[in-house]
Amino acid sequence: MSDESSFAPATEGARTPWPEPGKVVLETRGLVRDLGSEAVKTRILHGIDLTIREGEFLSLTGFSGSGKSTLLYLLGALDRPTSGEVSIDGVEIGALDDDDRATLRGEKLGFVFQFHFLLPEFTVLENVMLPMKRRGARAQTAIESRAREVVESLGLGELAGRRPNQLSGGQQQRVSIARAVANDPRIVLADEPTGNLDSRNGLIVMDVFERLAREQRITIVMVTHERSFASRTSRQLVMKDGRIVEDLDQR
Amino acid sequence: MSRVVFFIALRQLWDRKLLNGIAVCGVALGVLTLIGINGIMQGFQQKFLSNILRISPHVTLFDRQLRPQAPILARASEGFVVTDVHHESPADRILRISRPAEIVEALEAMDEVVAASKLLVGSAVISRGSQQYPVEVRGIEPARQDRVTPIASYLLQGNYRTLEASPDAIVLGSGVASRLGAKVGDVIVCGSSLGQRLNLKIVGIFEAAIPPVDNTRVYVTLRNAQALLGRPDTVGRIELKLREPDAAQVVTARLEEMFGYDGESWQETNANFLALFKQQNSIIDFVVGAILAVGGFGVLAIQIMIVLQKTRDIAILRSVGFHRRDILSCFLLQGAVISLLGAFVGDVSGHYLIQALGKLKTKQEGLVKSETFLVFDDPRFYWYGFGFALVVGLLASLIPAVRGSRVEPVDVLRGQLG
Ligand SMILES: Nc1ncnc2c1ncn2[C@@H]1O[C@H](COP(=O)(O)OP(=O)(O)O)[C@@H](O)[C@H]1O
Ligand SMILES: [Mg+2]
Repeated sequence: MSDESSFAPATEGARTPWPEPGKVVLETRGLVRDLGSEAVKTRILHGIDLTIREGEFLSLTGFSGSGKSTLLYLLGALDRPTSGEVSIDGVEIGALDDDDRATLRGEKLGFVFQFHFLLPEFTVLENVMLPMKRRGARAQTAIESRAREVVESLGLGELAGRRPNQLSGGQQQRVSIARAVANDPRIVLADEPTGNLDSRNGLIVMDVFERLAREQRITIVMVTHERSFASRTSRQLVMKDGRIVEDLDQR
Repeated sequence: MSRVVFFIALRQLWDRKLLNGIAVCGVALGVLTLIGINGIMQGFQQKFLSNILRISPHVTLFDRQLRPQAPILARASEGFVVTDVHHESPADRILRISRPAEIVEALEAMDEVVAASKLLVGSAVISRGSQQYPVEVRGIEPARQDRVTPIASYLLQGNYRTLEASPDAIVLGSGVASRLGAKVGDVIVCGSSLGQRLNLKIVGIFEAAIPPVDNTRVYVTLRNAQALLGRPDTVGRIELKLREPDAAQVVTARLEEMFGYDGESWQETNANFLALFKQQNSIIDFVVGAILAVGGFGVLAIQIMIVLQKTRDIAILRSVGFHRRDILSCFLLQGAVISLLGAFVGDVSGHYLIQALGKLKTKQEGLVKSETFLVFDDPRFYWYGFGFALVVGLLASLIPAVRGSRVEPVDVLRGQLG
């Protein structure tokens, strides 16, 4: 696709040193999560302690079933831990009710999933605008110009009026990144965002994330299976059987 | 509710035009049925009632006494004698209203009463040539009676005044006239078992548009009826027109109390019809309710299907900051729009249906005689349709909406991603 090739990959990014991380934005203490029925409960996470700072680009790797997604949902206030605590920007989310957690997700977090979850009835631009409209922090016209700006910065300008089913997988994934980013999140959580893409589109997505982390100091936690992508992040976490077994600062 | 929820709801509705269109049609059909059936039923009932109210007096006082006259003995020794009245034979009592002129005067002095008139009613046989036909003879005071039941206004042919002016005049119901093949100016013979045979000249033919009346009733003067039926100087009943027809039952009870004669309101006189209408109406309410409910189930089925298909989208919306309440109102809004559209379509098509039916030429002759299909275009039915559609639509979308609002994004994500 022509628009994808027009997007110049920031290949030199890997060599540039990462800036010093800022203050703590995400913190967990003794995070435990059990899943399954009452009768058969399995401990998926065995007490995760994690401190993540502003501007960090984390990769989370590990075998399938090691608990990466489970941890990500807890970090994203989508799930409640069995015990332990998650705090986002200093707010303990265990104390928040359902509405407050939804509001917090809208204001501080952005999500990107393996299967680009876009609303099929809305155009690219509308998909990007929906979270901003719900949040209502910007005026209507500002919402639209912000959405255009983000969509264009991701090389999707010409596709703004299209519906998701008219886009390729890579384009759709960039739209969901645009949606996650447009609302000025503090943290973007991505669960295997390149897992469903060919290597070229995977690279493009990776470049986008790196640029966001470097230029806009958005904190990113990305679950991935690709060693090469993990090595490009500022910090590598490796999980095994519900524990973090490696925490490698790559600055 | 935030505007973006509105936007999402409408867009999702529009994107499933076919499904939601079917739901709208279901609701519209219910509303259409409500308006259509009620229009037809009310058309018939209203016409019948208005015809009945023209032809039948609001209240009739009969010659049946409610309180038997106390025997002489009891009157003489007040209170001391217990009388035990065994059943009287019909001959024991002369059925008549005593001092009717005074009663009429007293009645007309009452505020509630517009007019009162004396009658004698009985059965007779009319013969014309070799034909004989049984009729109900009503002896009336023509001018007074016209103020109680406006016979002159439904006279087809002839002149009502002649009934009063001429000593041997008769007015026939249209059915009676056509059965006898008689027309205005013809002379017929009228007689009964107890009285004289009279030669009467037809001076008018009336049609009340109620076949049972038109086929049996004839009017003569009170005097002629008394001679015909062999009951000289007798008044058998007094008929009244009231200011408020709806108050007839209350007034009747009071008149019975005052005069001691058995009274009957028009509602009592037509009790069997009114009861029939009531039953008809409850059957209609049931049928219409059922059809509206079916429309509601249509909305329910389609909305549940949509909510199930939309769990992924709900999960997205919830993860980007939408509250449970937003999801709830999104689906309720869709239900409301479906039912509003359904109500609108139903109301509009119901209106055209009623109009078209009203123009339909069908001869009916049963309880009501009419050249066209009788319909009643009551604005209330449109509002009922609107209200019921909205209630049904909202109730039906409540279950899917609540279901949708309970979707936990993390469940969807786990299901999808393992
Ligand atoms: N609803 C559930 N009930 C029980 N076990 C579950 C459920 N969902 C996931 N699991 C288990 O939790 C473990 C961790 O899953 P997940 O966090 O998705 O791993 P990853 O993302 O690292 O592949 C897996 O072994 C999986 O089988
Ligand atoms: Mg996973």
